[in-house]
Amino acid sequence: MNYINWIYVAIASGIISIGVALSLYFWVIKQDPGTERAQEVASWIKEGSNAYLVKLYRSLGILAALIGLVIAVVFSIQPETASGGAVTMHFGEGLTMALAFIAGAFSSAVAGYLGMRVAVEANVRTATAANFSLAKAFKVSFNGGAVLGLAMVGMAIIGMSAILLWTGTPEAVLGFSFGASILALLAKAGGGIYTKTADIAADLVGKIEVGIPEDDPRNPAVVADNVGDNVGDVAGMGADIFDSYVASAVAVMVLGASIGLTQAEQLKFTVIPLILCVLGIFASLLGIALVRVKEGQKPGPALNRGTIITTIIFAIFLFIFVYFTNVNPGVFWAALTGLIAGVIIGFTSDYFTNDNFKPVKETARVSTSGAAINIITGFSYGLMSIVPSVVGIAATTLISYYAAEAFGLSGVYGIGISAVGMLSISGMIVSADAYGPIVDNARGIAEMSGMDHEVIVRADELDSAGNTAKAITKGFSIGAAALTVIALFAAYSEVVQDAGVLISISLKEPLVVAGVFLGAVTPPLFSALLMLAVTHNAFDMIEETRRQFREQPGILAGTHKPDYGRLVSLASEGALSSLILPAFLAVGLPLLVGFVLGPNALGGFLGGAIFTGVIFALLMSNAGGLWDNAKKYIETGKFGGPGSDAHKAAVVGDTVGDPFKDTAGPSINTLITVMSLVASLFAPLIAVFHLFGF
Amino acid sequence: MAIYLYLSLLPEALIASMLSPEEFGAYYAVGSVKKSRGQAMFFEVDPDFRHPYFRVEDAYARCVPHEDGSLKASVYISVYRVLEHMDFDALRHLYLTTMDGRTLELSPSNEIPNGNEQLHLYQEIVPVSPLVVSRLGPIAFVDTIVRNPVPLISVPALVFTELQLGDLADDPEMGLMENLPYSNQDHLRQCLTDVKTKYAATKMVDRVSTPNVQYRTIKNGFFVGNKKQLRYFPMPSPEEIRTTNYRWFRSANM
Repeated sequence: MNYINWIYVAIASGIISIGVALSLYFWVIKQDPGTERAQEVASWIKEGSNAYLVKLYRSLGILAALIGLVIAVVFSIQPETASGGAVTMHFGEGLTMALAFIAGAFSSAVAGYLGMRVAVEANVRTATAANFSLAKAFKVSFNGGAVLGLAMVGMAIIGMSAILLWTGTPEAVLGFSFGASILALLAKAGGGIYTKTADIAADLVGKIEVGIPEDDPRNPAVVADNVGDNVGDVAGMGADIFDSYVASAVAVMVLGASIGLTQAEQLKFTVIPLILCVLGIFASLLGIALVRVKEGQKPGPALNRGTIITTIIFAIFLFIFVYFTNVNPGVFWAALTGLIAGVIIGFTSDYFTNDNFKPVKETARVSTSGAAINIITGFSYGLMSIVPSVVGIAATTLISYYAAEAFGLSGVYGIGISAVGMLSISGMIVSADAYGPIVDNARGIAEMSGMDHEVIVRADELDSAGNTAKAITKGFSIGAAALTVIALFAAYSEVVQDAGVLISISLKEPLVVAGVFLGAVTPPLFSALLMLAVTHNAFDMIEETRRQFREQPGILAGTHKPDYGRLVSLASEGALSSLILPAFLAVGLPLLVGFVLGPNALGGFLGGAIFTGVIFALLMSNAGGLWDNAKKYIETGKFGGPGSDAHKAAVVGDTVGDPFKDTAGPSINTLITVMSLVASLFAPLIAVFHLFGF
Repeated sequence: MAIYLYLSLLPEALIASMLSPEEFGAYYAVGSVKKSRGQAMFFEVDPDFRHPYFRVEDAYARCVPHEDGSLKASVYISVYRVLEHMDFDALRHLYLTTMDGRTLELSPSNEIPNGNEQLHLYQEIVPVSPLVVSRLGPIAFVDTIVRNPVPLISVPALVFTELQLGDLADDPEMGLMENLPYSNQDHLRQCLTDVKTKYAATKMVDRVSTPNVQYRTIKNGFFVGNKKQLRYFPMPSPEEIRTTNYRWFRSANM
């Protein structure tokens, strides 16, 4: 088949994916929304989530328009040679890039919005279904999650394919990816700040100071807490994986365009990542259809089984594709390596955060000696947890590189293909991930609306499976982001060299060393800014929660409804206003380094940021998950159970870990992707306009 | 309008109130505009109970609705040596209220557990509140402290509860204790070993233990004893509480 036709197939598969997502959406909507009380509680969460998204998208709309304008102007400037020369203006190219950027941001926003929209409908229907059976509740919640998973991959593949078809150049798709990344960065970081701010306020005042249980409607911060689950884990995580999914494909497209000797070959290697995405979509559709829980079965294994089945189906599709279309077998081996590595990295993350294994049990045990020992132990295991994932990333890099080279393909292209292979089954991965906040919300609604304890027990069981899925997805997305940025790094080098500049990233050069150091400090600084935003906003929310309890004693007595809206509003405003500096770091710093210190230093900068970024992301996600589960393990009655000294120590560890695992850790993936995309996108200009370096 | 009489254990007080037990528990735990908060335990007392030590009639006279129509929450009748002047036949139900105001009702039972064969951990609540270990079962324990005191220290009446000891109840030297919620565990183990192996039948673990009780650690129930009688208010099993009073179950971290 002509490779142009594959682009149409890609668009068709995206339409099918979105079609299935919409049919699942309408199926979810048709389910029983439950009692008036349940619907009232759900409406509080829905209104809070919508209010936040409207504010977020309004701010992002303005930001996207401004950046789009800058892109339109900057990309209209076309220097003739790398050493300068005459500059001509090509407004058409600038406009194309700006439109691609806006399309990327818009597609990501639509996918996130659709996911949120179904999540706030599926939560109450899951709680209502849990009145009847676990199997039915699981089906509602998983189908709700699948709406986000399938809409996301559908929007992404349609966007990439349409722009490639329209412009004929993968560089324009870089603009699309940049738009998606900017939105992902702000959605993920903003959602992360929101969710943890609300969580900490709800826990510290409600649970610790006042002594009311989780999800108690008397807690003024409880609605903000439930809204946070949606904006952080549905909209945020969806945008994050959308970004990695697109970025990995785009990086390979850019590399593909440079390795082909003929135009036909260039097209083939450019389109291959889209074909892998198509195979991934169909594998995910089958995998999602096969995820079932029968009454009496546990939902956790069903989710894991779904991921593994999807992986196997994708591998079979991949083999068939490579075998029958005479594509270089290096593509098969590189993609398979990435696919297997993604699953392994995901499951090794689970080892460090699951209470069936030593790290969580040991952290819980030492909590009997106090919070300090809990934190030291959890942090140490968090550091150890970096090792298997980094070894996995390193092994994948080497295997995919040499597998590609062995079949006469560019090794770097192989690395990029491994990232695409890993992310190709994102439809399934995101479905399992988005299931988590839906069941978490369902549990909250069941609790707040006073449903029977059997319903709570079922919701608890669903929720616990959601936590495991979440841990696996985090490991998966970090591994994928690492491979993606390695491919983007190579793409950056290609774009600079295409501009006529021979790039040399040697640690013997002081500018490169300076770049490496500056890049290395960026993820820690970014993490610090996000976590300080959490503590700053949490402080305001804690004061407001305390004020409501203090001034309205009827709240605790259950005779006066708390002002949930005030807390939701505080969380929204705090999260959005905290994003300015982190966003500048992600976009401004690479440009500053590039335009001032030159392309080699920018290469060093990206290298430094990638290495510390991957390490910080893994450490923070895994340590935070470990502290959380150590606390939950104690709450099952171990080491004194709830209220014991060990529990108090574990609560401190969990609170420290909250912004680690849900704010800073997962946002670092997006940070390094955005910085790599900024570098690749502006590389032609940086190659020409810089103060130092040559 | 009904007037209730309550014997509060935290703190020890006799109180007249227009609030039903659940309302009174919520009020007492989470406070009103005074913003007091905390766990509450109280007996509902027969409103016809009278004793020369208490000016119950005067309190009833003051127990009228406020001008805005809201019910009078509390009129304190006495806050000193209340328990020793109570007639235990007047105690109807015991109510346990969590920190956030959920209330569980315990009814009395005639079947008092003995359990002399094991070691015991008792949290005394009123009139004093040490944490003690003993090789005596509840009946013998009340006998020793209240009815026929062998040690120098005795009290005229006592409310206490027995807490779970797990493996330590049988094997204080080697029994696993890592899942017990008590602090200073080595000292607890030593005290249990002492009462098992030495002459003294009871030993104090903590002089000024907080009278707040983690409800999920209660082994069997609450005991109220004086010279004349011992009454027992058994605690339902966690499964039973979960089914019958889920809100309380959640709130009490059962």
